[in-house]
Amino acid sequence: MLSRSPFLHFLTLLLFKQKSKHLGIMSISVVMIALVSAVLFISSSLQQTLQDTLDEQADFTVTRIEAGRPVSTPLAWADRIIEIEGVSQVAPRIHGRYFYAPREESFLVVGIDFFDEQGSKALESLVKGIDLKQFFAEESMIVGEGVKAFLQKHYYKDTFSFKTPRGQFKKVKIYEVLPGSLNLLANDMIIMPIGLAREIFGLKEDEVTDITFNVPNDAEWDNVIGKLHLVDYEIRVVEKREVEKAYENLYNYKGGIFLILYIIALLTLMLILYQRYAMVYSHERKEIGILRAVGWSIRDILKLKFYETMILVMSSFVIGTVAAYGYVFVLGAPILIEIFLGGANLENQVQMIPEVSFGTLGSLFLLYAVPFFAAVLIPSWRVAVIPPKEAMR
Amino acid sequence: MIRIEDVGKRFGEGENLFEALKSITLEVEEGECVILSGISGSGKSTLLSLIAALDRPSSGKIVVEGELVSKLPDLHASAYRAKTIGVIFQHFNLIESLSVEENVIVPLINSGLDMPAIRKMAEQSMQRASILHKASQDVASLSGGEKQRCAIARALVNDPKVILCDEPTANLDRENSLRFIDTIQKLNQAGKTIVIATHDPLFEALPFESRVIHMADGMIGKHGE
Repeated sequence: MLSRSPFLHFLTLLLFKQKSKHLGIMSISVVMIALVSAVLFISSSLQQTLQDTLDEQADFTVTRIEAGRPVSTPLAWADRIIEIEGVSQVAPRIHGRYFYAPREESFLVVGIDFFDEQGSKALESLVKGIDLKQFFAEESMIVGEGVKAFLQKHYYKDTFSFKTPRGQFKKVKIYEVLPGSLNLLANDMIIMPIGLAREIFGLKEDEVTDITFNVPNDAEWDNVIGKLHLVDYEIRVVEKREVEKAYENLYNYKGGIFLILYIIALLTLMLILYQRYAMVYSHERKEIGILRAVGWSIRDILKLKFYETMILVMSSFVIGTVAAYGYVFVLGAPILIEIFLGGANLENQVQMIPEVSFGTLGSLFLLYAVPFFAAVLIPSWRVAVIPPKEAMR
Repeated sequence: MIRIEDVGKRFGEGENLFEALKSITLEVEEGECVILSGISGSGKSTLLSLIAALDRPSSGKIVVEGELVSKLPDLHASAYRAKTIGVIFQHFNLIESLSVEENVIVPLINSGLDMPAIRKMAEQSMQRASILHKASQDVASLSGGEKQRCAIARALVNDPKVILCDEPTANLDRENSLRFIDTIQKLNQAGKTIVIATHDPLFEALPFESRVIHMADGMIGKHGE
């Protein structure tokens, strides 16, 4: 078919024979598209992972503060909170950062109550096939991949000794390692029985670090917040939506991404404009003049340039996005992921879950393709409308 | 037949106004070979480009094969250049990145013919211009004479009634110039109307019937008389 259609034949001929002319601009385009697409893929994937995790979190978390400083929360608050109309699934928690001074690193220690149905279920969903009874009986812990790697690096193979506030060492066995798919949030996490966590943090029997609960009716949220402040004036309430916003600010980088997109699109435009104008006023200008002189109309010239540009735009976009997909979801986005997880505590091998926002990709395509087409077609048209004799000069 | 009536061509305006052609009137009969001779800047190439509809006259009219080419809209002017005339340029004006055959097929790409038909016509044209043996060679690697023959093949590929040559031997040695004259003679004998703009003395006494028209200062006549 290609060999029978003169126009397609000539189009492919020009693209192939003048490949050096197109390769430069195409390479730059592919790199830019790949870079922006990779950023979008990473961002989408991280956001999706975070969203999935946050969906499982409680609507509210309360802690006690003294003079603006968080301190241990009285367990008795749980009984008062559960009495508030509309509140459900109240769960006292013990969690906090354990600082490992010799290496200036910290782990997130989470204490789980064996008798707390919600906590046990969450743990079972995290570690498939776990024998909860044995786990709670053994004074052991489940650690994130980052913790496991860190401990091994420092010669703690199967156990780790926590230093309690009383100066004693508490040896805890590593029972299991959390799956790598949870690394985004659980890389530096240590899950242990609540009693053990209480001992490590030096908390009393009637103290916890915070209390979580749900309010299924969104409309009641503001009322519940009002009533919570009657429980104790030293209460600090953290809503899930606030956490979501904080994560959004951390990973979405909305403004930053769009700024990058804008700058790249602008750079592309400038670069293409420069390249095209430079060519149109020399070699390409003459070529258009020759085509016009041998009988090509303005419409024929623009048709040729349109299809030529379409092939370049489409191929560089497809190559760029496929390369970005492979880089992010197959190779795990080396280097670039550090920009997103730069503030992470332990070295984190995050597994990117494939998540593509086609709307954003579409916007990226438009931002890239429209200036590209304009930068080619407008100068070509300007040359095509002048007398061929002048264009060939 | 080509009829040129009171044609003028001006470039620039005000103090920069330059009259390249001043009230030219000329008729070229069908099958005739006309040589427009004159020194550089006499207006012969400008007149040729107006006949080829590569530019428009500032005044007057040009009729070629019954078509008023001086006022053709773009689509019609393109069709006129594609079907009625074949132009051979001084600097050949070939697409350097393409081969001889690929350059020759360019005027037929939008003709509505399919590729086998186009290839056949290109082959015949290259045969006539004695360049068929270099069909697959890139134009950039050809000698001046070979480029000239490639340009001739391209001008002939659509079998035009009128062939216009602008300084065709300016970049050729004597041997290639004589070879070109030989080709032109054959085309003229085949009934083509030929107009050649040149200052090469070789064209003053061609070995076949031709009419020499002297141009100077944008006018016809030995000293613009």
